Amino acid sequence: MEVLGQDRREGLGRRADSRVTLLTLFFVSVLLLLSSLYSAEASVFRKARETVVDAAAPALALFAGPINAVQGAVGDIRDYFNVLKQNEALRQENAELRQWMNEALALRETVASYEMLHAYYAPPAVRPINAIVIGESNDAFSHSMLVNVGSDEGVSHGQAVIDPSGLVGRIVDVGKAASRILLLTDVQSRVPVYIEGADVEGLLVGRTKARPAVTFTKSSEPVIFEPGQRVLTSGAGGVLPRGLPVGVVAEDRKGEAIVELYANYARTRLVRVLNYKFPTVEPDEVATPSDGAAQPEASSSSASPSNEETRTVQPTPQAVTPVTPASAAAPRPVRTEEEALPEEVED
Amino acid sequence: MKAATPTLLGVVGVLLLALPLRLGAGVVPTPLLPLIIVFFWSVYGPSYLPAGSVFLIGLLQDMLTGGPLGLWPAVYLVTQYIVISQRSYFLGREQKVVWIGFAFAATGAALILWLVMSLMSGVLLPVGALLAQMATTVLTYPLFNFGFAHLQRRVIVEA
Repeated sequence: MEVLGQDRREGLGRRADSRVTLLTLFFVSVLLLLSSLYSAEASVFRKARETVVDAAAPALALFAGPINAVQGAVGDIRDYFNVLKQNEALRQENAELRQWMNEALALRETVASYEMLHAYYAPPAVRPINAIVIGESNDAFSHSMLVNVGSDEGVSHGQAVIDPSGLVGRIVDVGKAASRILLLTDVQSRVPVYIEGADVEGLLVGRTKARPAVTFTKSSEPVIFEPGQRVLTSGAGGVLPRGLPVGVVAEDRKGEAIVELYANYARTRLVRVLNYKFPTVEPDEVATPSDGAAQPEASSSSASPSNEETRTVQPTPQAVTPVTPASAAAPRPVRTEEEALPEEVED
Repeated sequence: MKAATPTLLGVVGVLLLALPLRLGAGVVPTPLLPLIIVFFWSVYGPSYLPAGSVFLIGLLQDMLTGGPLGLWPAVYLVTQYIVISQRSYFLGREQKVVWIGFAFAATGAALILWLVMSLMSGVLLPVGALLAQMATTVLTYPLFNFGFAHLQRRVIVEA
């Protein structure tokens, strides 16, 4: 520890020496920066990041608890002052949700009867991993969060992270006991999405602002969408499950859809990492239906992938977390529907 | 051991930047404490915060906040270089003058950050969040300056 300063103080001749060190280290930084520009995903850099994240996780977790307690207390005080207004809003929302619940129950029955009629293949189940946010980058340009689960719990690179309101981001670094979520607002974030009702697919691109934008591939026809339409993950590219709610279209800005996210990053604390294995199209798998009564040919439906979104809603509390319907974006002989619900209940 | 205090404070500052503090329900950005530390000790005791420590603090910040490696070390080292070269001007001046000096240093750091990040991402990034964070840092500087001055005078140098 002495080397950090004490002995540097002695002798004036050291001064020029320390300036050389400073400049050398500066050039090392610039070199690092240039090399991370060309090989940000290089295994050495990733390994270093993951090691540091792992090492810092216990310290972060230690402080995250008290911070959360304080935030909760402050939130309680704030709630106390507008409890009447909140009650009124909640009562209204509850009435609305009850209607939705009834509609969902009716739909569930309808879907169940369709599943009996058609060839139905159970999609791979989503295994959610519950996690607590222990870190968050307070940086103007890098938007990410750290969670207290890692490869030991089954987290791996690219997995989707949701909270009760919607998609939060995806996993980019995985340590043994901690991992990093790249938020949708980060400038590096690219998530394939589609706009419900507009039948268009695009990429949700982070712009470091609170509201990311959906960009569409250039085409001669203008893309038509309206504010208020829902934005969901499309599952294109085979990384994130299809149909995770992302947000709603807020406005049209020069042909790009600005999206108001469902996730509120100022409140994100409990999240679930979706351990999801994307269904692969393999001929022999397709030939073995899980529902014995079904014929594979019976359901080669011609519906476009963006239309065949199915969601199951249960009136139980855990249904508040987004359900994860998924169907491969690739054309397949058999329709795959998804109704896997996270089995675990978030506390 | 006492001579390592600025370095340890820098590490604490980085940890604060990696914690979900969400000051003011997420509205107020966390001040860049390491920048204040680098500035303060570059003026009042460069020997207590050698370039190696500054480099490590920056690298730790890059790794914890998920930015490109080398960004924050470069920013902090440039700040340290410029401040040390202007040190004779700051020493013995009024605190207000030093504060204005810090505001200039923070502006310079923000400019470098914005340029590098814009170059790396290929688009001109919005500056709102960066300016807000720098403003918070500059506004809280006198507070930290007061604390660090006491620490430097009473604890570190007295050793």
